[in-house]
Parts: sequence; C-alpha cells; structure tokens
Amino acid sequence: MSTVNIKIDGKEFAVKEGEYILNAARANDVFIPAICYLTRCSPTLACRLCLVEADGKQVYACNAKVKEGMEITVDTPNILEERRAIMEVYDVNHPLQCGVCDKSGECELQNYTLELGVDSQSYMIPDTKRETKNWSSVLHYDAGLCIVCERCTTVCKDMIGDAAITTAKRGGEALDKGFKDTMPKDAYAMWNKLQKSIIAPSNGTEYTNCSDCGECTAVCPVGALVSRDFQYTSNAWDLKRTPATCAHCSSGCQIYYETKPASIEDRNEKIYRVTNEWNYVSLCGAGRFGYDFENRVDGKDEKAFAAAVEAFKKADSIRFNSVISNEEALMLQALKEKMGVKLVNPDARAFQKFLSAYSQASGQSLYSFDFKEVMATDFVMSVGAALRNDNPNARYAFNNVQKMNKGAGLYFHPVGDNLVPTFGKSVEVFTHKVGLEEAALYLILDLFADTGKLPADVKEYIASFKSETTKTIKEKVMKDVTETVVDEETGEEKEISKKVPEMVEKEITVEKNGLVELLGKESDAFMDAFEKMMKKKESFSLIVGEDLYFHEKAENIAKLVALIERTSTVKVAMIPPKTNSLGVALICDLDDEAAGYTIGYNENGDFKLSALGAGDLDMPAMNQQEGTLTNMHKRVIPTNAALEYRGYELNDIMKVLIDAPKETVDWTASLPVEKGFQAVEFDSLPNGYLNDGTENRGYQLAVTLSDTGDIDVSKIDESGILEGEIVYRCNPQRQFNDFSDKAHEIFEAFGLYASPARAEALGNKVEIDFGERNIIVDVIADERMEGDIVSLSDFKSAEDVYRLFDGSRYKTVTMRKV
Amino acid sequence: MGLEQFKNRNVGTQNYKMLDLGETPTSGMDKFKQVVQRTFKVELFIGLWVTLREMINALLRGQMHTVKYPFEKLPISPRYRAIHDMLRLLESGHYRCIGCGLCEKICISNCITMNTRYDENQRKEVSEYTINFGRCIFCGYCAEVCPELAIVHGPRYETASEQRASFSLFEDMLTPIDQLNLQKEYDGFGAVTPNADDNIKQTPLAY
Amino acid sequence: MEIVTYTTVETFVNHLPEVTWVGSLIKAVLILAVISAIAGFGTFIERKVLAFMQRRLGPMHVGPYGLLQLAADGIKLFTKEDIVPQNANKLIFMIAPAITAATAFIALSAVPVFPDFTIPKFIPVLGGTFVPSIASDLNIGILFVLGMMAAGLYGPLLAGMSQANKWGIIGAARTAIQFLSYEVVTGLSILAPIMLVGSLSFVDFNNAQAGGIGSWLIWQQPVAFVLFLIAGFAETNRTPFDLLEHEAEVVSGYATEYSGMRWGMFFIGEYANMITISVIAAIVFLGGYSEGGLGWLTIILKVGFFFFLMLWVRAAWPHVRPDQLMWLCWKVLMPIAVINVVITGIVMMV
Repeated sequence: MSTVNIKIDGKEFAVKEGEYILNAARANDVFIPAICYLTRCSPTLACRLCLVEADGKQVYACNAKVKEGMEITVDTPNILEERRAIMEVYDVNHPLQCGVCDKSGECELQNYTLELGVDSQSYMIPDTKRETKNWSSVLHYDAGLCIVCERCTTVCKDMIGDAAITTAKRGGEALDKGFKDTMPKDAYAMWNKLQKSIIAPSNGTEYTNCSDCGECTAVCPVGALVSRDFQYTSNAWDLKRTPATCAHCSSGCQIYYETKPASIEDRNEKIYRVTNEWNYVSLCGAGRFGYDFENRVDGKDEKAFAAAVEAFKKADSIRFNSVISNEEALMLQALKEKMGVKLVNPDARAFQKFLSAYSQASGQSLYSFDFKEVMATDFVMSVGAALRNDNPNARYAFNNVQKMNKGAGLYFHPVGDNLVPTFGKSVEVFTHKVGLEEAALYLILDLFADTGKLPADVKEYIASFKSETTKTIKEKVMKDVTETVVDEETGEEKEISKKVPEMVEKEITVEKNGLVELLGKESDAFMDAFEKMMKKKESFSLIVGEDLYFHEKAENIAKLVALIERTSTVKVAMIPPKTNSLGVALICDLDDEAAGYTIGYNENGDFKLSALGAGDLDMPAMNQQEGTLTNMHKRVIPTNAALEYRGYELNDIMKVLIDAPKETVDWTASLPVEKGFQAVEFDSLPNGYLNDGTENRGYQLAVTLSDTGDIDVSKIDESGILEGEIVYRCNPQRQFNDFSDKAHEIFEAFGLYASPARAEALGNKVEIDFGERNIIVDVIADERMEGDIVSLSDFKSAEDVYRLFDGSRYKTVTMRKV
Repeated sequence: MGLEQFKNRNVGTQNYKMLDLGETPTSGMDKFKQVVQRTFKVELFIGLWVTLREMINALLRGQMHTVKYPFEKLPISPRYRAIHDMLRLLESGHYRCIGCGLCEKICISNCITMNTRYDENQRKEVSEYTINFGRCIFCGYCAEVCPELAIVHGPRYETASEQRASFSLFEDMLTPIDQLNLQKEYDGFGAVTPNADDNIKQTPLAY
Repeated sequence: MEIVTYTTVETFVNHLPEVTWVGSLIKAVLILAVISAIAGFGTFIERKVLAFMQRRLGPMHVGPYGLLQLAADGIKLFTKEDIVPQNANKLIFMIAPAITAATAFIALSAVPVFPDFTIPKFIPVLGGTFVPSIASDLNIGILFVLGMMAAGLYGPLLAGMSQANKWGIIGAARTAIQFLSYEVVTGLSILAPIMLVGSLSFVDFNNAQAGGIGSWLIWQQPVAFVLFLIAGFAETNRTPFDLLEHEAEVVSGYATEYSGMRWGMFFIGEYANMITISVIAAIVFLGGYSEGGLGWLTIILKVGFFFFLMLWVRAAWPHVRPDQLMWLCWKVLMPIAVINVVITGIVMMV
C-alpha cells in the first residue's frame, strides 16, 4: 500500500494514501478532537470539532484526505475559539444530571468540555421538551441528553445496516439572529442544525424495528442511548473490565465483560454489561446483551466428578458442539487418541468435510479472505448464508461494502429477506429455489471467471445455458410528418413538415442467460443491472455460508468455490457454522455418528457435562474460563474469565484420565502446528486493537499451499430441488446457542419463524412432521422475512433440531395447525 | 555506633530553648545557701495554697470542671465528624441522595456501597446504601464530595452497639420523616461556603 | 519551761477503773475493725480531696457522692484472683503483706484511739466491762510504736525481694534505705520532746500539755515538729517521698507483682500507718486529747488535719529523687535533729 508523507504540527508522518486526516493522525497517536466521527463509517460532519488547518485552509479532518506534503496544524487560535464555542453550544441546556447519568466518567461531552476548558457559558436558548423513550426491549433514549452527533444513526446505517434510526425534527426555537454575527461560524452552523434535530426511529413509529444489536448505545458519546437493563445500575468507574472474546458465533468479536459485585448482600461478581472497541469492531445483540450465561456452582461436586470420570472411562463417544475452546477441543482429541472414543459434532463435521474438499481442490488449507478483507472489497457476493441471522459480522461486512466502498452485492438465498436489498442500490437478491446453490456458483463463474482459465467442459456447460432470443422492444423514433394546414385568414393551404415522436416496435436479438432464469430472475433486466454494478469495481469477494456445508452436494460445491477462486479475482470467505467450528474442524478428527455409551458436553448424552447447569457435572461457561477460540477471521484469539468458577473443569477430568498439564491454558501451546496453529503460550497472546485499527489479537492461522491438479466439477443436480412446505434450520437474530438463550436480555424465543403472511396462515402453533419425528412449536412472525419458507430455530440443544434435519439445512415437511 | 560517636551525638543542640536556671552550686557553702533559700522561701507553701484555692473554687464557687458525661453532654462543633446522616429534601421529604456514587468512589477506606436501579418514576433510585463502620475512618470525604449535601456527618458520636450493622443502613442514617422539621443543615466539610455565589459565574438562561 | 509534774499523771490514771483482759481484747478488735474501715475510707477521702484540688468531682456514681465506691473497691479486692508469680518465694510473698498490715495495727495498740467507755450493765456477758482508750497502756508507748513502725519495713522489703521482679527488688532496696534512714530522724526529732516530758508514755505526753494551746509542745519544739512531720511522710511512703512504688520509675516498686487482697493489705497498712503518725504528731506536739470535755473531738480534728495535710501535699508537690531523699535525710535533717537534741539538753540543764 502506498504511503504519503504529511506533517502534523511540524512532525513528519508517513501515512496511508487516501486516508482521512483524522484517521492518519489517530494511527500516529496525534490527538484531534472529534465527537461525531466513527472510524469505519462515513463522516457526518455533525460536530465540526475536528477542524484543522491543512496547507493554510481550514478543513474537517474527518472528511479531508491526506495529500503528499500536506502540512497540518491541529490548533490555531481561530480553531480553538471555534472548538470552545462548539463545546459551549453542546453544553447549552444539557441537563446537569451527571450525578445520575450512566455515562458520567466516560462521557465525551464531559471530557471535551474539560479538554477545551469550557468554564463559562455565553449562549442560551429556551429549551424544548424532549421526551425519554424506550425504543425497544433493550434501547432507552433520553432525548434530553442527546447532542445529536448522529453517531448512532451513522453506525446503524453504515455498519449494522438496519438504518432503524434517523434524525427527526426537534421543534426547537430558532436561534437568535444576533448569534450569527457574534459567534464563530462553524459553531453557529452546528448549533443551527442541532437545534432543529433529534433522533427517532426511522419507521415513523415510537419503536425501532431492528436487530437490537445495541451498537447505537455503544457509540453514543453521552448518556442519551443506554441499555434499558443497565440504566442506573452502575457507574462506569465501578466496573472492572475483562478483555475477552464473545463466544456466541464464529465472529469471535473482542468484547469487555464489565463486572462488579452483584449487590450489597451478594458480593459475587456479576457482569453488568458488555462493551466493545466500537471504532474497530461492531457487536450484535447476542454479544452485547447475551452475557449472563455463566454457570454458578457452589463448589466442587466430588461425587459428580467421580461419576464423570467413570463415565469417561466407559464412554464410546463424546457428543459436543462448537461452543468450546480450542484447548477443550484439543483435550477431546487427546482423549480420542488415547482412549479411542468417537467425537461427534455435526456442525463442525459438516464444515470440516466442506473445508477439506475445498482445500483438496484449491490446494489452500484455508479460505483466502477474512471478513476484514471482505469489508475492503467493493463487490461482495453471498451464497448459502442467511446473512441476517447466521453471522452478524458477515452481514455488517456485506452492508459496509455497499455504504462505504460505493460497492455492489449479489445475495443468493432461498429464504426471502427484505432487509438485504436495503443495504444499497446495487444489491441484487436472488431468492432461488432450495437446492440450486450450484447454479448460483455457476452463475458467479459465468459472471466473473476468466473464460480462458475455465476447463473446457465447464465452459461448454455454462455456454449451454446461454441462448439468443429475439425480443420486441419499443423504441422512440422521430418521424417526419407533413401536414396540410389551412390558413384561416387567407384560406391558403400550406404544407408544414414537423418531427413527431413515435413508438416503434423493433425486434432485437438478446443473449438470454439460462442460469439467471433458473435462479428466478429475468435475465436481461439482471444483465443490465449487473453491467451498472460492475462499473469501477476492482475487488471481489464471495461469502460462503452454512447452507453449502449441509448441502447434499457439498463436495461439488466446495470444488466449485475453489474453481471460482482459481479462475477469477473473486476471493472466498467462509462462515463457520458455530462459534468455534473452525477450531474444532482443524483440531479434532470427527466422526459422523455417535455409538454406544455417549457423553454429551452441552449436548444430549447418557452422561451430561453441562455449562448450562442442567447436566450431571457442571462445567464453566465461556465467560468463566480462559482459553482460545478460532474465529471466522482465521484468528486464534484468547478469551478470559470474567467470573469466578468454583467447580471442576474438563481439564480436571483429563488429569485423571490422561497425562494433562495443570491448567487448561497450558494446552494452548500444543495446538496442532501442522493445521496452522502456533506453539505460543496463552499468556503471550494479546487481545486488543491498536490506534490505527490493527487487530492485535492472538495470531493468524497459517495457510499452507499445495499444488493440485484440475478441478473436476459436476453439473447442477436439479433433482435436489425441494418443493412443497420447506423448513429451514435457522436461528432468529441474537440467538445462537443455549448460552445466548440463557441470557436474560435475549428475548427471541425458540420457534418457527415465518413471514407475517405465512405466520398468519399457520396460526399460533404448528406441528411439524419431519417424517420419522415431529415437533410442536410456536409460530413467530418475522417482519424481515418474505416468502413461504419458514425457519426453525436450532439454538436449544435439548430440542435436538440437528437430528430432525438429519445433516441438512432444508427439509420438506408437512405442517399442521395445533 | 562506637562509644565516641555515642557520646558525641549531636542531640538537639539546635532547637532547644534553654532556661536560665542560674549556677549549679559546687561548693558546700553554696549548696547550704541554696537549701536555706529554698527552705525559707515560701515556694512550697504557694504550691499548697494554689491547690487549696482550687479546691475552694471547686467546692464553694461552683467552678467544678467535671461534666457528668452520660447525663450531661457538651455541645459539639458543627464540623464534628461522627456517624453519618442522610438528609432529606425539606420540600418533598424525599431523600436527597441521587445515587451518583461519588462517595463510594472517593471513600479511602472503601466502606461505602450502594445499589441503584431505574425506578418506576424513571429516576435513579438508591435501593440500598450501606457504610461499613468497622472500616470507616470518618475522614469526611464523602460529605465533602456529595453534590447534593445528602450525606453529611451527624452528631452521633456514641457508636458502641451490639451489632456492627446497627448504624450502617440507609434507613438508620436517614432523617426520620416525622423529624424532618428538626433536620439541621450541615455546616461542616463540603457545605456551601458563605461566599459561594461570588465564586461562580452565572450561566445565562433564556427564560 | 513548764514541766508537768508526775503526781498529776498518777492521779489521773488512778481514777480510771481497772483494765481487764476482756476490755483490752474488745479494744483490740475495735481498733482493728474501725481503723481498717477508716483506712478504706481514707482511700475514698484521698480520691475525693485530690479530685477537688484538681476541680474534679472524684467518684460520684456508686452510692451517694460515690460513698460506696470503697465498698465496691473492697469487693473487687476481696474477690480478685490471688496470683503468686511462678518464680516468687511463695511463702514470703504471701506473708509480706500481712507483716505490713500487722505491724501497722500492732503499733496502734500502744496509741490512744477513741475515748474509753464502760459497756452498759444490761448487755449480757460483756456488761460492765471497761474498754480503755489504749489497748495496752505501756509506759514506753512511744518507743514501742516507733519500734513497731520500724519493724513494718520488713513488709515491703520482703515483698520486693520475694517476687522475682526487678522493679520489686528496686522497690525493696528503696524501702530499706528510706525507712532505715528516716527512722533515725524520727527517733532523734522526737527525742527532744521526750527529754522535756521525761516519759515515753503517750498519756504522760497528753497530760504534760493539759494547760491549753499555750502549753503544746510545738511551741517549745517547732524544729522537732517539722523534722518529725517530714520523717513521718517518709516513713509512711507519702508524696513527696513515695519512692518505693513510684510508677514512673519502678512500675509499682515492691507491690509490682501483687494484686487483689494482698495488694490491698499493703494499703491498709499504709493508711493505718498514716493514722498512727497523725495520732503521734497530734499527741506529742499538738496537745493530744487534753482539752477537758472536748478532748476527743479535738484529737479527731487534729488527726484529721494531719491526714488531710498528707493528701494536700500529695496534690501540690512533686516527689524528690532518691539521692535527694538521702541527701536530705543525712545531710540536713539528721544534723538538725542532733543539734535540736543538744540545744534542748543545754536549755534543760540551764
């Protein structure tokens, strides 16, 4: 990446080309005050504090890009005057309730008021009554405290993609015209805007219709947006921050658990909230609100432990899921090697198979892109992922590409979704039939592959979909018309010729793409749109989701994905189905089926180890244990224990059964190096971000390359198309597993999610007949869903939804009202 | 320390105020003179007189010093720092504490703890508040930092009790609602200074 | 210089009824009971007087004006555990307080205390018994009293030596030097009045001063009086000569290891000695009980004055150093006493 040299306050820095001055300064630890700017979002220019002087001109550091040789002065007397006036304006009518405000102590308004030395007030205006509102089950908005920096609306639109909140009219009094002449220009402009606006849900109602991710509460610089549950329960300075990793999905976002004693009577530590480095990582609702899933036990249950050891000794197989650390996965693998038990983990197994098929075809041990790289591309595609539900980070990346990179996107998924199209104008959504994922990949091959590199048979196969048809289009043609006009006065007839537009039908030959038609779109309309989408695009990425791993033709699909990478510039990123599926897939030799006496680790089994408190032996939950996780960014990241755990850990059992080290984290250095892990001690793994946004967390998995031959792919198997009533295995937003379900601020229920129309047709409760087994569930309407396919949650391991679906994500079923 | 050093220690030759005690008698005659002088000077009897006079003062002139403590008590200074009081608002009777947590933060012996919550009136409610008087050193920082003059030091210095928890709950420290009319404003640490108005700039208001 | 004639005394004594052994026994029991009580009461008075002189109230809460404080203290002393240190000489440690108390009371047997009376006839068994003023009217009363008080030094001395405590040893050493030294002064100072009276009987002293205030021996022997008083303070271990058990120097001196009733006996002894010295001073120098019908009242006042003086001095004066004490005894008081005896002798000869 090319750099340019700039000078800030006389000091020289080499910074990234095309970077905003503010980001360049921050990357080099130079402080420029700014409230409204968010690193990965578009500048809003609401606060105007970042005013700096660049080459003699005043510019806003958040939206002026660096140029070679630029000389920047952060503070000039004029700028300081502007900034002070801006802070004074922010303080006008701001309620003096720091005493009770949740933000007090970490409030940017407090900080900048102090930083810029505001010790008196020169401006005034009558206040407007601003109501406090609860926007949703988690969001609390105190308009009185709001300084309308628009960070919340910006992050919601540019990062999250919900665009659930927007600025609205405040109805405040107009500014006294006298101020215009007396006060600094930018401060006046900012005040003028501030006095007119307020934040409100963008759907015009009192309530937001969003995924309740709470990112707006995270970015709010003041106490205006606060989680309802956290409000007034603790001061920021009382909370102890433990850097950790969210263990709900495979994003593995960096979070801080903030703890303090639960109450005066109960001095046990309790997690009060989760915070994040919102400039560098955005959380979803599960990460932010699903934190209290800890397993509280009183002490070591020796009897249960002895029973567990006995159970392990006679166990034939161990069933577990991917909410597990790398170390624990390694322990289980060691157990398999020493004692020959079978390891069963359906989600990781499917992903493991897919990944090995992919790497055999591509010669690459892992997929090419992480999602940060996806976010930097300007054309992003998604196949086989319910983007809204499967993985928030993938969705944020898809959305961010549209918003920040003037990007375009293709979204292939059988379940209709009305949110994805709103991410950007250049997003085309294919709501294709279930089973046509191969077709989607063939279409991508067709659109992006270098035909020269394609194998002949594939080329031929793709060409077979193309047909030329004639199409009648109407065209506007100017036609000369001669009219005879009679002059009324003279009675003379004159001939006047003029041009008149006329619609003419014309037949043209159009190339029709059968793949597009097969996927349910009109070929020529799409091709026109696609042409526009491709303008000025340089980098391409493809997100591959869980549907493909559980596809009947998963192996062929993996080959197709490899072929796309080989023959085009499209780079692939995969979404591991569950939290640590990637880690488990790399570390463990998994088996397909359990047999004999089975131990369930957070899963059903003859003997249950459970971090949910419902098993035969208690285990620590992820917020109570140290360890590493492998996330979808191909990173091995550490997480720490936020809460004490007094019971036994898996390692204690290992110590009895096999020769295990003292602590769980002593296993970290033994993670398999040949799979890309590094032999480093747990304690040497960092977990944070650098000022320039560099992710300084754990380490990146090494990707090994090998030579492979031609990729042999088979044709689209249309026999796999499902018809009739189809159920999709998919969790609601904010739900990922039993742990997110246990958290008291996650309200999404287990059930059958359907589009409102479909839900109405289904009634309140249905019995779903899977053939051999059936299940009775509540029907829940999801406004964001479209079409007839319904989604059945799988986050409750007790319901054993995986077995119902039998290694697939879609099933044709019969549903009856109950 | 060697003997030499020990003997020649420079112990406080600097800051002692020396009294003029006269010459110490050396010869036998001088000593005899001193005895005679001391004997016939009435110094000893002045001493006797002084004590007798004080006895007369005490018994006959009502100048007895003794305060019969549990039955009689001396008034204490308003700046005295005894067991804390939590004051109420005189207008509404509601407790003044807003639960800002500054006392909790500033407390150098870490003895203050509070639970707060979002109450039905959309206010921050102090659901529980306690001071561990086993730890409190009565430094007065909490009263000084309190922005609402809600926590102050009261005059209750008799803190012996059967239980350590006897004074430590919010209700124990809070002015009883029926004695609100007796509630006194606190003049000690953290109270508003008489010239407070002169020391701050007024914020302009558009009303 | 007027000298009371022998005949007067003989007449006076001869007028009294015969003293039986029962009377003496009753007197002895009376002295023991009353003086012990007074000794206890003396502690209360001391506390009160010292308090008043410091403008305090002193004990106030046990009984009216704190009067029952001494009962409370007594109960406490009686009921406290009797502790004997491990390395002490147990026998001597236990006997020592008794020596102090016993010698103090034995000394009182030759001192006239309280008036004589006859038990009324209607009381059975004891009816008609004459109880004398002096339990044992020895004709060498003064010598006996001085001798007994000197023997009293064995109490603190043995106590200090037996208790295996360095403070006790120091206290014992101080006892020995202080009591022995001041014994000399007491004896010499009182020798001059004895020369004048020509008798060692307290009764004779009393009778010799029967001529009213003008005939008190203090006017003839002021130096002897002052010497006797000073020596008396030292003999009774009172401020300013309370070196035997001075807290600031030797913790509690010979009494360091004592507690409970044994400790209390030292104090009873000390207060009994205070009373003895006060009585001697009153009889020898201030005319005794010679004032006709009011004699018993006046002697109580006189004794009371000396007792009060001891408390008063304690409230006003600091104590002296041991070396000053010795210096005072041997270089000042003893020579003056000798000179006083010599001058008295010369005056009598002339």
